[in-house]
Amino acid sequence: MIHLIGAASYVPYPSWLNPADNTWQITAATFVGLMSLPGLAVLYASLVPKKWAVNVLAMMFAGFALVMVAWFLWEYKLGFGDTSIGGGVRLVNGVVTQTQNAGTTGTLTHFFENFLGKPGPVTSAFGEQAQASSAANTIIPFHFPTSSLAYFQFVFAAITPLLFMGSVLGRIKFSAWCLLVPLWSTCVYTVDAFLLWGGGYFAQEGALDFSGGYVIHMSAGVSGFVAAWCLGPRLLRDRQHALPNNLVMAAVGAGILWLGWNGFNGGDPYYAGASAAAAVVNTNLATATGVLVWIAMDAWLSKEKKPTFLGGVNGMICGLVGITPCAGWVNGLGAIYVGAICTVVVWIAWNYLSKVRPFSKVDDALGVIYTHGIAGLLGGLLLGIFGDPNMIEYGCGHLTASGQVIATSQATYLTAKGTCVPFGVNGLMYTGSAHQLWEQARAAVWVIFWSALVTFILMKLIGLVLRGTRYKDEILEVGDLAIHGEEAFPEETLATRTGGGAFAMAGLDKGGSSAAAAAEDYPVPGTDTGGGS
Amino acid sequence: MKLIVAVLKPFKLDDVKETLKNLGVQGMTLTEAQGFGRQRGHTEVYRGAEYEVDFVPKIRVEVLVDDGQVDEVVDAIVTSASTGKIGDGKVWVLPVEAVVRVRTGERGSEAL
Repeated sequence: MIHLIGAASYVPYPSWLNPADNTWQITAATFVGLMSLPGLAVLYASLVPKKWAVNVLAMMFAGFALVMVAWFLWEYKLGFGDTSIGGGVRLVNGVVTQTQNAGTTGTLTHFFENFLGKPGPVTSAFGEQAQASSAANTIIPFHFPTSSLAYFQFVFAAITPLLFMGSVLGRIKFSAWCLLVPLWSTCVYTVDAFLLWGGGYFAQEGALDFSGGYVIHMSAGVSGFVAAWCLGPRLLRDRQHALPNNLVMAAVGAGILWLGWNGFNGGDPYYAGASAAAAVVNTNLATATGVLVWIAMDAWLSKEKKPTFLGGVNGMICGLVGITPCAGWVNGLGAIYVGAICTVVVWIAWNYLSKVRPFSKVDDALGVIYTHGIAGLLGGLLLGIFGDPNMIEYGCGHLTASGQVIATSQATYLTAKGTCVPFGVNGLMYTGSAHQLWEQARAAVWVIFWSALVTFILMKLIGLVLRGTRYKDEILEVGDLAIHGEEAFPEETLATRTGGGAFAMAGLDKGGSSAAAAAEDYPVPGTDTGGGS
Repeated sequence: MKLIVAVLKPFKLDDVKETLKNLGVQGMTLTEAQGFGRQRGHTEVYRGAEYEVDFVPKIRVEVLVDDGQVDEVVDAIVTSASTGKIGDGKVWVLPVEAVVRVRTGERGSEAL
């Protein structure tokens, strides 16, 4: 580094920016984005019958794009900005502060003052480049700009409705989907995100959700289930023949989901530190356990007694979802417990609870309520049990003669008489206190209630506006071709161009496959002997 | 001339092809097919749901031969495609009225 004393010099970073943290945040965000496109798009598109694959892909790409625009125009601030009503969390002189208006007390007031951020865009030069600040983290300042935080949070907001598309596919109108996604993420997602992450009521009460076991997965499971109930079932014929069209592509999508989750959980400490690395390892431990447990249960307990690949994918998702609310706050053994418990319970629910009302009466096409809803709920509750106070997300550095010392346990810090208490979670198993479990349970009840209620209202509203949210049976019988005019696996020898499109139209009117006609229409420079240029 | 049609187990194709080549049969046409006879189908499991699949993968072999060669070729197919287990398939023979080679216009036995 060259120091030019007294001279102004260009610098690549503002003083608050840490390039390692910023790099990891953008990288992790991109990993999570890849989980949607192509991960989830390919997984879901290959789990449906051939005639629905294009529809799934179109809804995936449209949904991702819709949330992107909405997120940066108004949604990000709803979830992670200053509170909108009365007191609540807001930036005061650049510091995230809990404020309270004079004369406003009581739990309800406190709840609604800390319910939702004030909507607004993050599209200005300052909005994109200034240091990120949100009550999402009041412990240490962010080391990256708002763009990094907002984009990272966007990919989570985007994947949530895409997850619950698995419940509604095969009959929802494309137009209804395009209305549902931005409305749902505005009215459901941002509320839960603010309450649990953005410094809102449940965050202040102490409920925790590392990467979205509640805000994303349980919410997606419940919302998908309610939306599927509002929509009614797929055609009987489609349910009788609900075969996946390509297990190899399902493996590609599922694999991207698994490894993409390294960004999903590894990015949520917001710093490229030890907690991020531990979260990645725990995520993979829980997931590997989930895969093995589901395959083993299929092989030993299912009627056919066969180890199925798609069962392994279900177990993988159970492990991933279950560890999501806990990732950096449980230790490796805790992660294995979480993965195993979530998978065993979801396997039993998948095979037996599905025969009981209301589960037997709602056509949740890909079973999102089980692998996301139930696994997300369990993971959130298990954090209250397996949360290890020595899994420190944010530690306290204190300088000694030899430099900065990072102690490894809460006890070490406390004996060092620091006023700073490192942040870890006090689970029942380690502290004997059920307080965290209680906070987790309260937040779960809220997320289930809000997701179900608002999804129901939105589906009814959209039904009024569009005169129904599902396609007519004639369209459902055909699928992709009727809705999009495309097939997932078209056969070119059976089709002949008759018009449309912006390229290579010349020669089409000549018919046949005459090479002479092609040469006339597309002369190759330098070979033209006919007196051209 | 006769058309011999055989619906067989896919993994027997190599044996059948080699046997027919050795008999001097000049050509054959192969189609992937789905079918069932007495052995019926099987069960598949996707995400815990069972599906009955009545049809099982088969290959459909078509061979054009002169009348004199019919018995020899049919016997060869039956021998080489047999496993002795249910689902081995069937062979049947149809009369052929005319055969033309597209490239040369030759007709009848010349076109085989």
